[in-house]
Amino acid sequence: MQRTTSRQTLAVLATAVTGSLVLAACGGAGGPSSGGGKISDGKVVIGLLNDQSGVYKDLSGPNSKVAIQMAIDDYKAKYGDKAVAKDIEIVAADHQNKPDVANTKAQEMYDRDKADIILDVPTSSAALAVATQAKAKKKLFIDIGAGTTALTGAQCNKYTFHWAYDTYMLASGTGAALVEGGGKNWSIVYPDYAFGQDMTKSFTAAVERAGGTVQQKIATPFPNENFATFITKAGSSKPDVIGIMAAGGDLVNFVKQYNQAGMADKAKLAVGLMFITDIHSLGVDQFKGTTFTDAWYWNFDAQNKAWADKFKAKTNTRPSFAHAGNYSAAFNYLEAVQAAGTDKSDDIVKQLEGKKINDMFLRNGEVRAADHNVIHDVYQVKVKSKDQVKEEWDYEEVVKTIPAADAYGPANPACKMG
Amino acid sequence: MTPVPGEILEVDGLSAWYGEARVLTDVNLRVAPGEVVTLVGRNGAGKTTLLRSVMGLHRQVEGSVSWAGQVLGRSSADKRAKAGIGWVPDDRGIYATLSVQENLLLPPITSKADAWSLERVYEQFPVLQERRDFPGTKLSGGEQQMLAIARVLRTGSRLLLLDEPSEGLAPVIVQQIGDIIRQIKDQGVSVLLVEQNVKFAATVADRHYLLAQGRVVESRDNDSFQSRTSELLEYLGM
Amino acid sequence: MPPARPERAAYRAGPKLENNRTAPTTGSHMTAFIQYTLQGLALGGFYALAALGLAVIFGVLGVVNFSHGACYMLGAVGAAVLLDATGLGFWWALPLMTIAMFLFGVLMERLLVQWLLRLDPLYNFLLTFGLTLLLVDVVKRKYGVSGLPYPLPAGLDGRITLGAVSLSTYQVFAAVFSISVCLAVWLVLTKTRVGMIVRASTEDAERSRALGINVSRWVTPVFGFGIALAGLAGVLRAPTGSVTADMGSFFIIILFAVVVIGGLGSILGAVVAGFLVGLVEAYGQGYAGRFSQVFIFMLMALVILVRPSGLFGREEAAS
Ligand SMILES: Nc1ncnc2c1ncn2[C@@H]1O[C@H](COP(=O)(O)OP(=O)(O)OP(=O)(O)O)[C@@H](O)[C@H]1O
Ligand SMILES: [Mg+2]
Repeated sequence: MQRTTSRQTLAVLATAVTGSLVLAACGGAGGPSSGGGKISDGKVVIGLLNDQSGVYKDLSGPNSKVAIQMAIDDYKAKYGDKAVAKDIEIVAADHQNKPDVANTKAQEMYDRDKADIILDVPTSSAALAVATQAKAKKKLFIDIGAGTTALTGAQCNKYTFHWAYDTYMLASGTGAALVEGGGKNWSIVYPDYAFGQDMTKSFTAAVERAGGTVQQKIATPFPNENFATFITKAGSSKPDVIGIMAAGGDLVNFVKQYNQAGMADKAKLAVGLMFITDIHSLGVDQFKGTTFTDAWYWNFDAQNKAWADKFKAKTNTRPSFAHAGNYSAAFNYLEAVQAAGTDKSDDIVKQLEGKKINDMFLRNGEVRAADHNVIHDVYQVKVKSKDQVKEEWDYEEVVKTIPAADAYGPANPACKMG
Repeated sequence: MTPVPGEILEVDGLSAWYGEARVLTDVNLRVAPGEVVTLVGRNGAGKTTLLRSVMGLHRQVEGSVSWAGQVLGRSSADKRAKAGIGWVPDDRGIYATLSVQENLLLPPITSKADAWSLERVYEQFPVLQERRDFPGTKLSGGEQQMLAIARVLRTGSRLLLLDEPSEGLAPVIVQQIGDIIRQIKDQGVSVLLVEQNVKFAATVADRHYLLAQGRVVESRDNDSFQSRTSELLEYLGM
Repeated sequence: MPPARPERAAYRAGPKLENNRTAPTTGSHMTAFIQYTLQGLALGGFYALAALGLAVIFGVLGVVNFSHGACYMLGAVGAAVLLDATGLGFWWALPLMTIAMFLFGVLMERLLVQWLLRLDPLYNFLLTFGLTLLLVDVVKRKYGVSGLPYPLPAGLDGRITLGAVSLSTYQVFAAVFSISVCLAVWLVLTKTRVGMIVRASTEDAERSRALGINVSRWVTPVFGFGIALAGLAGVLRAPTGSVTADMGSFFIIILFAVVVIGGLGSILGAVVAGFLVGLVEAYGQGYAGRFSQVFIFMLMALVILVRPSGLFGREEAAS
């Protein structure tokens, strides 16, 4: 009967359609720009471009708008009638973690919404697309959510700053700390795409700098659900440390299966990039004892806690470092506007470059003029065990503060500021 | 057993379409109780479509079909089967995922009195018993045809729609099928038989309808059919 | 932050890293092979379970149920919510979520799917596709995107070690459980009249109707049953994977590959292909790392080329 064939065809088609839906990518084009006056268009417009609905929604997403609003409120409270920026507006958009979408949305924000600055932009490829737009339109961009060192390296530009963290800092914190603690032999498991490869390079370099060796680098597909066999392989060289460079759902899959494989007793687990929302979703039990580097932790000291309490009153949840980073970037941007007396990009850049900052988010912070990397003290943390947890979200124990210079290393020589 | 007087199949002004294409036009036919009637016509004449329409499988139709005094209307195929119409499709319709015996047991019994018991089926078709645990489609073509016919006999159907049962089979087997049809007839069951093998049709049928391009062009009793076979066939282009 | 999970194309980008400087240690390739095989079988049981539901639904209704992945997700999320709200753990979730998903399937069929059954199968494909987007979004809105915690059931958190080969107790349990469910379903399908009807209707629903079987009567329970199996697979997954709104989005692609390899509408095919895909994935991970999933789709392509109707699809289908 012919019907069966067409059924089978349909199924093949279904698979193909599904596959291509999951792929999907596209391009965009440029457009004109505008400006002028002390405060352009009479108001300051802050664009928030991030993942509003996908896997990274919880760790930044819509709640970063709340954080930015908190910065605006604090700025207005601080300067009152003397505030240069009286009318401040936030426009938010979802870039779905796709570079092409990010590119289009960034253009829209700069041109149509008259955004003076774009904030956040997680996902490295998306961040680089927005940086290109910022350069072309001579408008500001402060990235918080993406990890790539290219933003302050080969693809750096005058209007782009990188505020919270990057893969170099994650690696130097976690890699060095574990090697010093006796974890000389490493196996690294990484998802085989730009971020995973970048992380693996940074970690390998950091481990080797500290005197350790990376014996196995195991690439996995991305996304991936089943890690059992990869874990067996990673353990086969009897490493002291197994490093996992996956994020989001893949990280959760890996850690659950890592614990089930009984690896927790045999090797230390180092997580390349972790957000507090990951621990929250998996439960501390699964991550117990895991070491990672955090850019900021809400329960580190009274200052952080006070801000986190305000944040919780508005959102009913605790902030991730990305939320705090968005606050800090927005607030310091407004401070720069205040100091410059205008929102003109070039004047703001002048204000920011070389500025030393100590605020709720940045400790011993400096907006490094050479590569626009905003370096600051970061934290080597360990996930608490269940009985150490005193309240919800109280998951991290700060083992050590890593000084900014150690965490970020010297300015990236690849950066040629145009 | 004898024919039951009310068991008449009546097709009245039946037209059928596939999308825009009309393949049956105003077909009228009738099968009396216990009668064996053939439907003769060249490839594509619409014979299969007619059987499927009677069975309720082809639904893009106009006109009426009634069986045993009931207008079938839009009733579903399974209701029609339960009313005593048994269908043996042109591809035999044997299930590959069912064993021979399961193929026999699958359709529910519609008339206890007429249903062939499994024993009787096996007595009549010993080969089916031998192979009862084989997947249905592992049988030879002829055996599959036997199985398809036996399957509807087991339900006790009172009207059989046989779609080219002799097609592609060896003469001995065709003969066997002829024997079965005669047995069924003796049982008082009516048969609407689609055939292109006119010689075979003439050995079992009481009457014949000639179908050309979706229309009934002739209706003949067997005697006058036999005497003018070649002329009629030429007319049909067969 | 890294790119979104679904950007599969991304992993071809970027420079290649040198890989695997050290081969698996001290000779024992055989041990590794056995280990991979067992892991593959464990994974396969799980795929088989989920694909079985897809195959039965496809067979009896002719519906390519795109929402199978979403229903799998609902099973897992439901288990996590059940735990959080009532404290009822894994052993409760197994039966309760299976029943809940059966009812969900019944509702879905009665309220939505049945109206499109007479039309081109594409309509129901699109319907279930839309439903997937809706379900995923609702779960995202309600429970966020980072996922929900779900612990290993007590007593299954150990390891089972035989010589040099070692598997997690839960993995063994999940495999044995999946295989048992597949076997039970198999017994029902082969030894009961209901099973015979379902098999016949799966093979050819129209013909079964013409033989006096009220296929419509079986359509709703069969659909519910298929969805229940998806939900059950989801519950089984919860302790060992991430429980997120998106967990089904990639899973469904693997499942489609499984049923295409097995032959659509073939129940045995779904089960056999489930194990096959599990093994291919495990060996792929063991010996070809990043390409482990590619092999699944290569296998699918190969099957389509050599046997377009799938390993257990009927050959006559080719006419
Ligand atoms: N599924 C279909 N879609 C469209 N047209 C069809 C379909 N099935 C049959 N037809 C057309 O309808 C007409 C009647 O077909 P039908 O199968 O009823 O003829 P038939 O007399 O049984 O022929 P044969 O002797 O070859 O079995 C033919 O012209 C055929 O091409
Ligand atoms: Mg025909």
